[in-house]
Amino acid sequence: MAHVVGPEVVKYACTCGLLKSISSLYFCRYCCQLRCGFCVCHEVDSHFCGKCCENLPSSEARLKKNRCGNCYICPSCQQELSTRIGSKGPSNPEDPKSTPKKMYYLSCLYCRWSSRDVGIPDQSAATGGWPDRENVNANRLQEIIEMYKAMVLAEKQQKEKDKKKQRGKYLSYTDRTGVTAAALRKRIGLPVDIQHSLLKAKPKEPEPAIAKEDVEDLPEELLTKPVNLTEVTTIEQRLLQIDLQPTTVEKLFPVHKQLSIKRSLRCRSCEHNVSKPEYNPNSVKFKIQLFAYYHVPEIRIVTVEPLRAGRPSELIIKFTNPTQHQTTITILSLVLSGDENEVKEETGDQPSLPQEKQPPSLSSQPSSLLSLSSRQPSITIKPRPVSQEVNADVAIPSSKVILPPRDDAAEYDDSGDTHNIQDDPKLVVWRKSNKAFVKLLVTPKQGLALNTEIVAGFTMQHIYTNTIATTVENREPDKHDHNIRVFLTLGNLVGFD
Amino acid sequence: MPIYEALSDKLTVVLDVGSAYTKFGFSGEYAPRCIIRSEVRCKKTNTIRRIIDYENEKDLYDLLVDFVHVLYFKYALFSPKDKPIVVVESLLCPTLFRETLAKVLFEHYEISMLLMLPSHLVGLSTLGAETALVLDVGYFEAVAIPVCHGLPVIHAWQALPLGSQIIHNNLRALLNSDNTGINNLPESVIEDIKVRCCFVTKQKRAAQLSVAKPEITFAPEVKYPIGGSEIITVSGKVREKVYEILYDEDNDHLCLSTMLLDAITKVDIHLRNKLAENILLIGGTVMVPGFKARLKEELHKQLKHDRYKKLKISSFKFHTPPCKENYTAWLGGAIYGATELLSMKALTREKYFKENRLPDWPNMRDNFRTNN
Repeated sequence: MAHVVGPEVVKYACTCGLLKSISSLYFCRYCCQLRCGFCVCHEVDSHFCGKCCENLPSSEARLKKNRCGNCYICPSCQQELSTRIGSKGPSNPEDPKSTPKKMYYLSCLYCRWSSRDVGIPDQSAATGGWPDRENVNANRLQEIIEMYKAMVLAEKQQKEKDKKKQRGKYLSYTDRTGVTAAALRKRIGLPVDIQHSLLKAKPKEPEPAIAKEDVEDLPEELLTKPVNLTEVTTIEQRLLQIDLQPTTVEKLFPVHKQLSIKRSLRCRSCEHNVSKPEYNPNSVKFKIQLFAYYHVPEIRIVTVEPLRAGRPSELIIKFTNPTQHQTTITILSLVLSGDENEVKEETGDQPSLPQEKQPPSLSSQPSSLLSLSSRQPSITIKPRPVSQEVNADVAIPSSKVILPPRDDAAEYDDSGDTHNIQDDPKLVVWRKSNKAFVKLLVTPKQGLALNTEIVAGFTMQHIYTNTIATTVENREPDKHDHNIRVFLTLGNLVGFD
Repeated sequence: MPIYEALSDKLTVVLDVGSAYTKFGFSGEYAPRCIIRSEVRCKKTNTIRRIIDYENEKDLYDLLVDFVHVLYFKYALFSPKDKPIVVVESLLCPTLFRETLAKVLFEHYEISMLLMLPSHLVGLSTLGAETALVLDVGYFEAVAIPVCHGLPVIHAWQALPLGSQIIHNNLRALLNSDNTGINNLPESVIEDIKVRCCFVTKQKRAAQLSVAKPEITFAPEVKYPIGGSEIITVSGKVREKVYEILYDEDNDHLCLSTMLLDAITKVDIHLRNKLAENILLIGGTVMVPGFKARLKEELHKQLKHDRYKKLKISSFKFHTPPCKENYTAWLGGAIYGATELLSMKALTREKYFKENRLPDWPNMRDNFRTNN
């Protein structure tokens, strides 16, 4: 599996035009298209704390400002803090036989910072006893926010009132008869204009800030005292506590640890989930796992002859069929300009707002339910032309390669391959269960300098069998061709013809 | 914050993308959730690149997509789809940048509404005041725009490239002349040296810095370790001299202090004194020890020149915002975002896709009078 984290030698072109290796691609079963991290819609699924592995509901996460209530991080090195037991004094000072009371303090195992360095007294409770610091200016800012809210609300209501007055062009019934509401009120004796309840009592406005002539001077000790770099905080340490931003180390207080999220990915055109992780933070599995690695044949480079400009070199690549159905691979020539599956109509440079799209008939969600949800349909990403330049030609073979389905029990069964597939011996060099070695001839273009990186490309067409639950009448799962553009980085040019 | 407000679904993101640091948080809160560097790992080159180092529009689009992804899914832990956002920006922000940011947010992240606020104007809301001369000294440049009765007086704008970038270059040059053999220190190391060792000195001492035989004793030097093995010396003279570049007059006799006085000169006569007595300083570079005191000294020194004699200003008064200066503009955006202004004035998705551009103050199509 080292090829997953190694250099990306084999890249597939996603429908949005970006080149990714197969481990970064997803396959939407409903649209039968490749998707990548760029063209899917990311959503936050659940919040959890990385240290205590507890799930938090999203409302509670919002309340606690996306931070765990129990876990802290070291303000000096931003690693996790552990609670350690400190001095133990007797809980009841008078009774010498009572059990010693345990006092806890926070300590960082990496940089040896502890809560005693900043003067926080030891706590008797293991969790949740540490004091939380409040913003000094909270009251003043709250007043200012209230004032502006009231101001804008008043302006908004004024505007609406003006709009209503404008609409008063139309005569009301009472006007036609000569008895308006205002005249009636005057006759009775009530005040003519109805006082708006909100305009009656104006809340007390906070006074605007007063500018001062005196500004804080340069502290004299900067000019005389030598600087101890271990006592001055760095910018990263200061930015951990944004409202304080202390300049000296003794004011660095521990900060709550930030939560992590589980993300679910959704295809933009059919609104189905492409990847959905499990809710449990300790689990790395997925509920919905539509990765391209499990649906699209994987290509790996086995060997390539040293490349010379103008001379054909042999390239052996390995195809692996990951599905439970037999597939046939056809190698076609590469089409760089535009995607084969691109929308034919000219939309110009502006993406138009998508109309209310109904999901395809294969969807599991009934259309009535979709209209009830407040979710707007997603805007699909406009595909961009592939930016990779291909500087070698691949000789397109005329025959196809049949790959049998993946059989997990085959590795324990020594009965051997009984598929009896007739192969073109010049094309298929070796075969075992669902894998096959295919030989291709690659000719780098003339006129390239030494040591240029050679990139070859072709279109792989494979038959994809759709395994979504089909309707009752049709028991056969439908198969259709799926084209993927593949780009192989074959190494540097060694010599000339 | 009362509980019922926190549980409501009306969480609006407030974003301030600066050249060096980005402030990101939610409306109605008193401080941003995170202040991070405006850089992201580029997928093509697999190196960390700054957002301001973009090559063309497509490059900026990809960088912003990755950057906004990190902001939402690592720091805010919030889905951007169908939610509003408030962006605080400078009035002199390049059109390409703001249009690309709007495109990324609307097309890629499918937000519902976008409200762009000018940083100088909203910074005032943290004070509750309506008239002040706002000076924003950031990384890329220093911009001064007076705000009178709640309206930025744009024709009086003053901008000079006197930000942290020029200070870093100055520090690099000064260190190179003192220490041999250290070249190409990364930007983060230079920034750390600047933050921890350097400060803005007083006017009297500053005059002595360039003299061959100074009469003052410099501040003690600092031995700064680099890379775990080398140590460079930041001499006392360098510590005090780095920020002098802000007050060196260039060929047009412009510097930080003249900028403020020029801005005041361009405003109406009866507002000038009021502006001089309400100066607000925002931006990260302002947080250096000694900055405000020196600015006040320099302003008084410039007043004695002939060209400012007509101003007849007697005193300068400075405001202290109820927050740290490096996120004052963000806090203003958060205050505005907490009001109903978002639903009244924000640009909705439908309107953006119809027009395909943002409303902009230099664009004559947006400058017509509305009947109130």
